[in-house]
Amino acid sequence: MRPVSRGSLVWRVLAAVALVVLLVNGSLRMEDDAWPFGPMSQYAFSPPEDDTVVITRVDGLLTDGRRVELPLRVETAGISRAEIEARIPAIEADPSLLRAVSDGWVARNPTSPRPVELFLVQDETRLHRGQPTSTSKVTLAQWRVVP
Amino acid sequence: MSADATPLRGSVAGWFAPVVPEARVAVLRSVLYVFVLLDLHLLVRDPIPLSHHPDLYRPLLLARVLHLPPPSLPLAWTLYAVLVVGCLVGASGRAPRLVGWVVAAAFTWWVAIGFSYGKVDHDHLALVVALWVLPTVGAVPGGWSATRRSAQAGWALRCVQVAVVATYFLSALAKIRSGGWTLTSWPESYILTWAIVRRPHGLGQLLLPYPGVLRVMQWFSILAELSSVVVLWLRGRALLAAALFWMGFHVFTVALLYIHFAPTVVCWLAFAPLERLVPWWRARHPPLEPPVPVPSRATRDLARREG
Repeated sequence: MRPVSRGSLVWRVLAAVALVVLLVNGSLRMEDDAWPFGPMSQYAFSPPEDDTVVITRVDGLLTDGRRVELPLRVETAGISRAEIEARIPAIEADPSLLRAVSDGWVARNPTSPRPVELFLVQDETRLHRGQPTSTSKVTLAQWRVVP
Repeated sequence: MSADATPLRGSVAGWFAPVVPEARVAVLRSVLYVFVLLDLHLLVRDPIPLSHHPDLYRPLLLARVLHLPPPSLPLAWTLYAVLVVGCLVGASGRAPRLVGWVVAAAFTWWVAIGFSYGKVDHDHLALVVALWVLPTVGAVPGGWSATRRSAQAGWALRCVQVAVVATYFLSALAKIRSGGWTLTSWPESYILTWAIVRRPHGLGQLLLPYPGVLRVMQWFSILAELSSVVVLWLRGRALLAAALFWMGFHVFTVALLYIHFAPTVVCWLAFAPLERLVPWWRARHPPLEPPVPVPSRATRDLARREG
């Protein structure tokens, strides 16, 4: 068996206690910003039975006149839905931030027609007594692509 | 070196640093370095593309406190290269302290970049903790088949175990906190309906018309998360049963919402008797017997025929 000195044991126990304290503190008082010592806040909220569920998407009007969804995934647009959702207020204030999606999409779809205008939209699904009823589409921002 | 202070079983220090086979650490390190290689390409795979968009970057507290430079393509590619080389060397067990901490720092930075664009995932806690604590064990003579035992190995594994359990227990705490410190608000809510509408997927879509069933599942999961702490004191078959339960839990969330917690799942290996892996393999694949000597008459016959 490998020996362990008293000092080496003491710092280990203290470090483990510190880890637990930081983690619990994160869950009690901090926000996601404090990662890795923030709260485990995924899905930690309580939607009511008549909530409106929103899904954020980006549509592109292409040079050939079609309006298509530019799927918000790393492999298709270089950025995922969660990142765009997290920046909705910023994009509404400055729609040119949608350039991230058009640049990412053009780089990954070089042979497709380019988007000339981008739309930040949300599908709003209304719940009634916990059952999805109607869905409507709302446009939050739009931006004419500047080459 | 001062006198040996190996803690007694049953003491507080003995709980934090139990004496366990070091082979567990050697195996877990190799597995986790290989996992990090997969993670770079399959899970947190966006730091390089996200580096194109400095205007969307909002650094985490960690990056602000350490004054980390904002992500750029050269930085992201450098971290990527360091991680690939570090994980390959680390998986082979060479220079475990140096390589281990380089990988720990680079991976923490890499993940922090991925989480600095508004979305923070909580499945990487145990993996990040593991990468920081496992190098403290240092060299493990004999690697996967090491026979030495130590409190140093036990401490590192205990920290990973605590981080795994914290991922569950603290997520229950976050849910209770979000409901204004009431236990019932989250399990009585329509969170699974909300999640299924946003991530329509196989089993979830089947269950969407049954909010009552979804609510039972919410109660089940928050109670399971709250009681997960018990796992830290289980042994033997009870521990195996708990591990299988949580594996089943993750399979279920994949089927329901296509949400996996792979980085947490792989860290469950910190509970496993990994030192049995090599003896188990050797018992099933015995070394080949030395070849039967060829009688001299046979070689003479062969020489005559070929001549």
